[in-house]
Amino acid sequence: MFSRLSWRFVVRVLVTAVFLLPLIWMITASLHPVGRPLPQTLSFSLDLTLANFSRVWRLVPFGRFTLNSLLVVILAVPLTLVTSSWAGFSMAQLPKASQRRWIVLSLAVLMVPGIALWATRFLIYTKLGWYNTIWALIAPAFMGSSPFFVLMFYRSFRRIPVTIYEATRLEGAGVLTNWWQIGLPIARPTAIGVALLSFVLYWGDFISPLLYLRSESRYTLPIALQLLQQLSRSDWPLLMAGAVIATIIPVALFLLLQPYFARLGH
Amino acid sequence: MRKRLWRPLSYQQRLRLLLLPYLSGILLLVALPALLSFGLAFFRYDGLSAPTWIGHLNFLLVSTDELFLLSIQNSLALVILPVPLRVLGAFLLAILLRRNGRFLGWFRAAVYLPSIIPSAAYALAWLWILNPLFGPVNLLLQAIGLAPPAWFADPQWAKPGLVLLSLWQIGEGFLVCLAALQDIPTSVEDAAKVDGANLGQRFLYITLPLMAPILLLLTFRDAILTLQESFTNVFLTTGGGPYYATYTLPMLIYEQGFGLLLFGSASAALWVMYVLTGLIVLALYFIARQWQIGTTEETFVL
Repeated sequence: MFSRLSWRFVVRVLVTAVFLLPLIWMITASLHPVGRPLPQTLSFSLDLTLANFSRVWRLVPFGRFTLNSLLVVILAVPLTLVTSSWAGFSMAQLPKASQRRWIVLSLAVLMVPGIALWATRFLIYTKLGWYNTIWALIAPAFMGSSPFFVLMFYRSFRRIPVTIYEATRLEGAGVLTNWWQIGLPIARPTAIGVALLSFVLYWGDFISPLLYLRSESRYTLPIALQLLQQLSRSDWPLLMAGAVIATIIPVALFLLLQPYFARLGH
Repeated sequence: MRKRLWRPLSYQQRLRLLLLPYLSGILLLVALPALLSFGLAFFRYDGLSAPTWIGHLNFLLVSTDELFLLSIQNSLALVILPVPLRVLGAFLLAILLRRNGRFLGWFRAAVYLPSIIPSAAYALAWLWILNPLFGPVNLLLQAIGLAPPAWFADPQWAKPGLVLLSLWQIGEGFLVCLAALQDIPTSVEDAAKVDGANLGQRFLYITLPLMAPILLLLTFRDAILTLQESFTNVFLTTGGGPYYATYTLPMLIYEQGFGLLLFGSASAALWVMYVLTGLIVLALYFIARQWQIGTTEETFVL
């Protein structure tokens, strides 16, 4: 029995445990009893409480911020899926030379420092009337959020032989029909990957709301955490409760989609 | 009549139309702001009144700022220290979790998990984890009899703290290494095994040479990302301190632009950012050319 538990399995368990530590420490600190001084030695107590979460809720309008964050991802993730898969779908069927040009353009865009765009996007958003609105947060979704996603879709669409589309075109299918009924079902694993990655991107986006939002009522969770930090700098159980609230949804989603991860490389 | 005015588009044309959101987004949200940011360096602009031309004054202003050189040094240090460790870690983890076994999917998921945590929550968590008095890391160090450092409160230890924090978020590099390892045909290794090569030899003479180009590409890509995106971590943990020990170029650009409303001199500092990124891209390009990778269909995704 024990010999089957190879040394490799043991190493795997230990390494994995190390990677879970930040999340575990975040959660255990958030359960620390209110008002009890933090221990200054390594100790473990089963005296746990959920009170910090309700304290977060009372101190800062976290419900409001959670709703704002949800609204952002509900708009941005589907939009990203549509625009990035459109671009990837189209690229995959272009002549070879055009394909290469689009790849080079995409890679070039990936190399532009994000910081370079901060101030001047601010100007553009102000001109467009998007400053201090949700559009400033989801604007990149109109271009597929990141060339990386477009390239991911391109990679999986180009495995589909073009002759399939030609067959359906004879039956009168248009571009969008081919995209929706042939392309997307085959690229499903990619679509799920892009959905997850873009969810994480928009849910955790700290820079855009920091730079382009002014009204507190429109803040998202990452900014709420900063607000919480400014209010009570050293109330660690409280801060960690806030961090757990901001983390729980993407982590749950990720664990839900974990089977797609397991298939990687097969 | 109507037919002449509006001829239906061909299939190919409509196909190209699907690229329109992508292209217009690139133009409006990347190309235009990037070009504007270059030009803004020659203007005095506070975000409220109209910009006024002041020539190269912004460059003078920035280059004489004492914090400017320091911020470049810090930025470089915070790229050179963590990036090789991150790539090495991702590579070793990919090797460890390469082949099947029980719960393999869950092990891989666990390695990727820290990369899912929103950056603000992640930074806040590490502020707690590395807390000098109560943080679990220091309690651990104390328990095994080591003198715990003050991390983000100590100018000497703030940078190592930031490096440490960045080592857990390596999900992307891990996946790239994993995918590249899967591309190595098992027959090659099996043949070596038959010839009597042991685990270390197989690693040294087969896996490593085949992975070297990917690892180098990954290193430079990670350098670009770290240079640009370390802002949130620094901003929320140390705020550039203590005593400017972690004051990086993005911090300087943020404070000049959005703190002091000196968008002009922020753009001038940005030019340095472009130069640094450009140098890394150039290195990346030559490596990709040398090995004939990155330009082929299968590996471009890096």
